[in-house]
Amino acid sequence: MSSKLMEVRGLTIKDSSGTVLVENVSLELNDKEFVGIVGESGSGKSLTTQAILNVLPKSLQAEYKQLALMDRSVEGLDAAQIRALVGREIGFVPQNTVSFLHPLIKIKHQIGDAYMRHMKKSRKDAYAKACRLLSKVGIKDPDRVMNAYPFQISGGMKQRVNIALALMTDPKAIIADEPTTALDTVIQRQVMDLFDTMNRLEGVPILFISHDLNIIRRYCSRVYVMYKGKLVESGSTELVFSQPKHPYTRQLLDSTMTIK
Amino acid sequence: MRKGKNNRLVLLGIALVSMVVLLCLISFIYLPHDPNNMNTLDRLHRPSGEYFLGTDQFGRDILSRIMVSTRYALLVGLVSVSVGASIGVVIGSIGGIAKGVLQSVIMRIIDGFMAFPGMLLALMLVAVTGKGLWNSVLAIAIFMIPTYARLAYSLVIDQKNELYIKAAKSYGATPLRIIGKHILPSMLPKLITQFSSSIGGAILLESSLSFLGLGVQPPNASLGLMLSESRQFTLSYPYLAIPSGIVLVIAILGFNLIGDALNDYTVGRRTSA
Amino acid sequence: MVKYTINRLLSGVVVLFVISWITFFVLTVIPGDAALLSLGTDATPERLEALRESMGLNQPWYERYFSWLTHFLAGDWGNSLFFGEEVLTLIMQRLMITVSLAVFSLLLAIPVAAIIGILSAIYQDKWIDRLARTVMQLGDAIPQFWLALIFLVFFSGKLGWFPVPGFIPVEEGWWRSIQSLLLPSIVVAIGLVGYLIRIIRSSMLSALEQDFMLMTRVNGLSSAQAVFKYALRSAVIAPVTTILMQLAGLLAGTVLVESIFALPGVGRLLLVAVEQRDVILLQGTVMFITGVVVCVNFLADILYRVINPMIQFGGERNA
Repeated sequence: MSSKLMEVRGLTIKDSSGTVLVENVSLELNDKEFVGIVGESGSGKSLTTQAILNVLPKSLQAEYKQLALMDRSVEGLDAAQIRALVGREIGFVPQNTVSFLHPLIKIKHQIGDAYMRHMKKSRKDAYAKACRLLSKVGIKDPDRVMNAYPFQISGGMKQRVNIALALMTDPKAIIADEPTTALDTVIQRQVMDLFDTMNRLEGVPILFISHDLNIIRRYCSRVYVMYKGKLVESGSTELVFSQPKHPYTRQLLDSTMTIK
Repeated sequence: MRKGKNNRLVLLGIALVSMVVLLCLISFIYLPHDPNNMNTLDRLHRPSGEYFLGTDQFGRDILSRIMVSTRYALLVGLVSVSVGASIGVVIGSIGGIAKGVLQSVIMRIIDGFMAFPGMLLALMLVAVTGKGLWNSVLAIAIFMIPTYARLAYSLVIDQKNELYIKAAKSYGATPLRIIGKHILPSMLPKLITQFSSSIGGAILLESSLSFLGLGVQPPNASLGLMLSESRQFTLSYPYLAIPSGIVLVIAILGFNLIGDALNDYTVGRRTSA
Repeated sequence: MVKYTINRLLSGVVVLFVISWITFFVLTVIPGDAALLSLGTDATPERLEALRESMGLNQPWYERYFSWLTHFLAGDWGNSLFFGEEVLTLIMQRLMITVSLAVFSLLLAIPVAAIIGILSAIYQDKWIDRLARTVMQLGDAIPQFWLALIFLVFFSGKLGWFPVPGFIPVEEGWWRSIQSLLLPSIVVAIGLVGYLIRIIRSSMLSALEQDFMLMTRVNGLSSAQAVFKYALRSAVIAPVTTILMQLAGLLAGTVLVESIFALPGVGRLLLVAVEQRDVILLQGTVMFITGVVVCVNFLADILYRVINPMIQFGGERNA
């Protein structure tokens, strides 16, 4: 009944020497869902999302049986059309350790670029909307942040700016790739609550990538477990966590238990 | 694909260098004509069966002169770079191992030498030592010292902090022993790479000095000198500037290509060409 | 920033002192007898003695060094033995030509190198990149004097596009004056293009690998915006400073071209000093050129900080 905002079937990613990095992965994100992908680093979870967004590094090759975005197959769309579709309809929140914003351009000069391009808006509209979104993600003085360079604001602030940037085009879905890694626990909590609010109050579906089982368990309704480039388990969070079938999932759960 | 392309460039480099080396080796066994014999009846002779590359304004056989010139080019390249590199490595290593005042004095002096742009240092040295083959070898050798000193210095500093050096120190090895046994071997790949590129640079510098009349002196033949001597005649007979110039480019390009390939091999090919 | 500037300034001054010492040592201490070096062995003993006296060669070297340095700093660079005129005046008379030559060649080289360098980074391993790498290799391997010779024969001699070698002063017409510098500038520019492509290409390649390029793709920005607004912004910094340093280095890099095209610039002056073993002239010219190089390098270093706000604010590792 619900529409599929993202769907990929039989995704395989290889590098230039033919080594398989991701093998036969299928996943989907439905309306209003908060879905997690969990796995250790190098398990292929980031590559999978990059393939869905069509932004894999040039050296990697992706093949799939089917890829659909916003309920429509990308087959027949050219690269520029896919790029525009992704840019307009999907918001992407990166790891906050990467300099996703250009370090030498003031935030006000880059936050609105996608908005102006895809929504055909003026620079003034973009500034106003960006300020609105910055307040919404909990920044008290949007004007100051807008006039700062990315390196002049703290890590937590930067991540809020990234989230605001992702929301500029009113995307129909959000992909967040380890957005809370390297944030301290208080800010991590605030950022996660922000995602949660957006999901519950506004119904924005979120595909959430993390290696942190506790976060996944707390927020996600459904979860995919990836291990060494393969999808080893999927299902409702409750089920996967209470009755893990795959040895890796069990191991993962055990390790978090002991830490607790 | 990249690897293949890279390999082709190395092969090209090796082929070019081999051509020059071959010309040089043959010159010791066989020369078509006496390179310094002025045959006034055969001045500016076009290439023919008798004179394969023609003759110059004094009726001297161009091929023979080029063959003899390659001796100087290779001699200057190898000797000046070897001498300069050896001295440079020693100075740089001392700078890397020394502490405090000595270290900063050595490094400031190297900085000073590095601040001389292009061939300024070589020109200044030639002014003091005088014209001629060996004087230009000396000038080019000194010109090379700072590059190698810098390289050795940074390599020593890198290595100094490595664990095994600390270990060697702890059981009381002398600094000289540490350099010889541990640091020098690990520096070798980078030094060899730099060496090959430097030879191309040294040949270029020698030909420039000879062109200015400061290097190899007439009647001897050097590629730069041949080009310089042909200057008055090139407007009426441009061919004179071609053969020796091409051999010069072949020699420099050959060593540069090999140097670049070695560099890609040791550093890994990323942003460099 | 202020602290950094002072630090750089101090180390620049130290390098200048080292250079002055090297120059002095090489030119007047190593030869043993600079007077003999300058005048040659056929000079009369009286002239030699007079020159020794005037150069202060009868004093120990460190006294000579300090006396030379204090005069030098006061602007008294001595009289050229060959020209009989003040060294500083001789340099100033010739500076305009060499600076024009350097500026013209950079103006010619930068646009070409920028276009090829940027495109070769964007289309890595495509034909334009292969072309760029060929240009770089040949630029390194073709001797400037040979190129100058060939160009002179072909463009000036055969085709008659350019005037014969020699400098036409500005008084005889701006255009004619520029024309007389055009072919030599082209020769110098060709030598520079390969080097500049290398800098621009590698700077652009590393910009294209940055995370914000992923952002431009995820956000569906146009390729033009991604390249011109985002990638170029970080790629431009390193080349700007390098180009400045090149400009200074060209003061000594035009010796061969000035010699072939008969241009009375600083390079020619340097060559005369070397050929005539005019120690005083050589000392002054070498100090002038290296002094300019050190000053420009200092300015380039500071400029680098100014145009790179990330370093300026010291916030590189703020994330």
